[in-house]
Amino acid sequence: MNAGKRSLSSRNNLQAREQRRAAAVMITPLFLTLFFLFLLPVVFVVAMSLTNWSLTTPARDFVGTKNFRFVLNDERFWKAMGNTVFYTAIKLVADTSIALFIATLLDRKIHFRRFFRIAHFAPVVVPITASSLIWLWFYDPGIGPLNQVLVSLGLPAMQWLYSEKTALLSVILFSVWKGLGYNVILFLAGLQSIPESYLEAARIDGASERQVFFKVKLPLLAPVTSFVIMMGIINCLKVFTEVDVMTPNHGPLESTLLLVTYIYDQSFVRGKMGRGAAAALVLFIVIFGFTLVQRAFGRKNVSYD
Amino acid sequence: MKRMVTMFAALLFLCAAAIPVAAQTKLKVWYAVSGNSGEAFKAMLEKYDALNDDVTIESSYSGNYGDTATKVSASLISNTAPDVALMAAGPLYTGARNDYFIESKINDPDFNKDDIYPGVWDYAKYNGRICAVPYGISTPVLYYNKAILDKAGISLKNPPKTWAEFVQIAKAAQAKGNISGSADFWGFDVTDVAWLFKTMLNQNGNSVIAVKGTKIAPAFADEKADEVALFWKKLVDDKVMPMGQHSNAEKKFLAGNLAFLVATSARISRWASDPALKIGAIPMPYFQKPSVALGGNVLVILSKDLKTKEVAWKLVKYLASKENQTAFALNTGYLPIRKSGLTLPEAKKAVESSGMFGVAFDQLDNSWSYWHFEQMGTMDQILAQMIDTIERNVRDPKAALDKAAADLQAEIDG
Amino acid sequence: MKSTMKKRYPVIFVFLILSSALMIFPFVWMFLSAFKTSADVYSYPPKWIPSSFKWTNFAEVFKKIPFLRFYVNSIGVAFIQTFLQIAISAMGAFALTKLEFPGRKKMFSLMQSSMYVPEVVTMIPLFLLVSWAGLVDTYAGLILPGLNCAFTTILLMSFFQTIPNDLIDAAKIDGCGYYRIFLQVMLPNSRTAIGTASLFAFLTHWRSYMWPLIVTNNVKMRTLPIGLKYLVQETSSEYQTLMAASLMAIIPVLVVYMLMEKEFVQSITLTGLKS
Repeated sequence: MNAGKRSLSSRNNLQAREQRRAAAVMITPLFLTLFFLFLLPVVFVVAMSLTNWSLTTPARDFVGTKNFRFVLNDERFWKAMGNTVFYTAIKLVADTSIALFIATLLDRKIHFRRFFRIAHFAPVVVPITASSLIWLWFYDPGIGPLNQVLVSLGLPAMQWLYSEKTALLSVILFSVWKGLGYNVILFLAGLQSIPESYLEAARIDGASERQVFFKVKLPLLAPVTSFVIMMGIINCLKVFTEVDVMTPNHGPLESTLLLVTYIYDQSFVRGKMGRGAAAALVLFIVIFGFTLVQRAFGRKNVSYD
Repeated sequence: MKRMVTMFAALLFLCAAAIPVAAQTKLKVWYAVSGNSGEAFKAMLEKYDALNDDVTIESSYSGNYGDTATKVSASLISNTAPDVALMAAGPLYTGARNDYFIESKINDPDFNKDDIYPGVWDYAKYNGRICAVPYGISTPVLYYNKAILDKAGISLKNPPKTWAEFVQIAKAAQAKGNISGSADFWGFDVTDVAWLFKTMLNQNGNSVIAVKGTKIAPAFADEKADEVALFWKKLVDDKVMPMGQHSNAEKKFLAGNLAFLVATSARISRWASDPALKIGAIPMPYFQKPSVALGGNVLVILSKDLKTKEVAWKLVKYLASKENQTAFALNTGYLPIRKSGLTLPEAKKAVESSGMFGVAFDQLDNSWSYWHFEQMGTMDQILAQMIDTIERNVRDPKAALDKAAADLQAEIDG
Repeated sequence: MKSTMKKRYPVIFVFLILSSALMIFPFVWMFLSAFKTSADVYSYPPKWIPSSFKWTNFAEVFKKIPFLRFYVNSIGVAFIQTFLQIAISAMGAFALTKLEFPGRKKMFSLMQSSMYVPEVVTMIPLFLLVSWAGLVDTYAGLILPGLNCAFTTILLMSFFQTIPNDLIDAAKIDGCGYYRIFLQVMLPNSRTAIGTASLFAFLTHWRSYMWPLIVTNNVKMRTLPIGLKYLVQETSSEYQTLMAASLMAIIPVLVVYMLMEKEFVQSITLTGLKS
């Protein structure tokens, strides 16, 4: 009763202060990790990008914006940019839609459900040394099974990783196969947290399965979908290992040269750490731009717009 | 009595002070080789540690060549660098930092520097001066599949000397030697494109790079280089060599779909020890003069103070001795760096076990290397991409060479 | 509705079988390769069935490298990292979704931006920092720099957002402080999310290669991914031993997956909500 008699504003003030206090405690560990693992290194990277820092020699002179001008004028950088955007677009669409499709199938009560689930997660778990070996064999133009299947169907054999027209798509296919398990699990988690009661209510109202899916499940999956898309964009723009393992020297005519492989190239192969740092900062801005665009398009997403 | 005790104690004290305290120096050693090579190298370090009371060795595998370079770079900045490192591109960490300590030490009589092949010494130079000790060395070797050659009825008793002669044989093997019945059957391929191309350039009289004062400049855009590039293109156009599938070349070879393969000499120990594989080797064909380009790792000393460097040098001498280096090389697939190493019984046994060893050892007399320079990794990459454009008809050889030289020059100019 | 479900069932089943077969292919190859002889491994096209089942490959692994030590290090480090990461992420996600405080949006943007930088770029500056702090070759040096919590925090935020504020208000009326709300309302209701986040975090930490390589020199401090590289060699890899080792290395991940998978089979009902 006393609580009711307190004025609204002072009760709100008390609450607000309590929230802030709790928030401070809850958010500090996260902030500390961000400070030491992100802010400090980034300051260093910015400093490095303004010098001609070398991997091997002790060169450390200040060169101003030279590295940025080099990177932005480098045709290889723009090629990497184009390839990366292409990679991101295709992988994102394929990954999200196929994963969602499979997750809906796995959400049902079918026999061996647990086996199917773990099978779809297997590519994520298998070390890339093993899976890349098998895929390299798949893609072998001479004796690989993919071409053998094509030829037996009367279609022409493809060059897969060895032609500049198909190398990037081949890498994307491998990449999609490899990353599917993650998104399947995420979508499954999202689907599982939709209360059965909602679905029953819709079915009782006479909705068909398709309507249940599109009108009830999909909207309730929005936060997960948005998360999958956002992480998909960021991870695609940052991709490195899958491409490096499938096409060690950036592929035929450098058709699989992507932004992070370009950064790695500049920093560790060419030894120009300053340039690599500048390219990394440009990539940062690119990813930042993409996520802004995604936020503008997204309706229910994990942000505060 | 008391005086005697005090005098005795003082005497003891003086004696103790007079005995030089054995100073224990700690050496940190990193090595960029794993598997059998790593084990063999570590064993040598442990043996040295046991034999020498005044030195303790802390050894550690530091990842492959690339990862080791990263680790060493980071450690140099944070002042936690190792004392000795077995790594690739070592001169870029010593010579490029004006550290020519090793150059001053190699004249030690017990080191016997002239015993090491001169071409191999070039592999340890920066700016023309020695600043590393070559160690795990390899060269390209021309392997062939015995079964294919037998089926094609070709004998390699008198192996081809020039590339022109070789191409005829490769074509014949391709035409008549198809043992697998596969349509994907070829005469010749190479795993490391830039390595073979540089070898060919040198064979044709081109030095790949030229020294202009203290700077390096690309020299692979002249008529001699054009000839090599045209020859290479013809291999693809004549369908003797598959276009742009070099990363698959070794697999093709092992599957019996390739007659001849140029790959690293490091494969010999693996392929010679497998009875199921019938693989042989012949000397590398040449254009004007026989020559093969070197690759591999070197030993460098990265300590800061002179005293530790001297201790490290003793270790390096031990590792690079005739017995140790030759045993290491033969057990792990590298090549002996010392001519005297070939006289050792293990070397003779290796040659008897497989002719491939003999071929690789003989090639060492004609081994060649250019000096290390910052952009050498970039150059290999530019050359590999350039060859890709030539093979795929994107650019004609001369234009491709000119562009590659210009790109490299731009990188050097920074 | 039930009849269309029944009709579609076999189609779905067959599809899933095909799809699973495609996904599980390399795992089968890896499993069989662990039993192969050296000759089998190098044959190309790849041989599937080993010529003889060499169980000794597994023992070989322990002989060649201090496998057990690497295993223990990896398990210890990965588990501690996962636990810390989930704890930090859950607290952060709670604050960012359910609490009002100044700078909330900025904190979120900062966190999200931390995902825009690839590991290769921050590696060297981090090493310098860790080296200056004297943490090279220490467990702290292995564990702490791996705590990149942005991914798991945002993941948990997506799920926390779906927990209705009514529940929280109800708890507040009952007199719960925010810490109790966190422990007794948020966490129990997001077990699926926490399970998923833990699995992903564990997988990332388990596989980490570059950072442990750069921050350790002493072989006793090293983790499995580095240990596996010890088996590889440019002149003559024993590939079958590598596969045997890799097979043993995936076991903990599969265990974590199984533990987490139970959360999927349980149905999560947010009781008292619908009304």
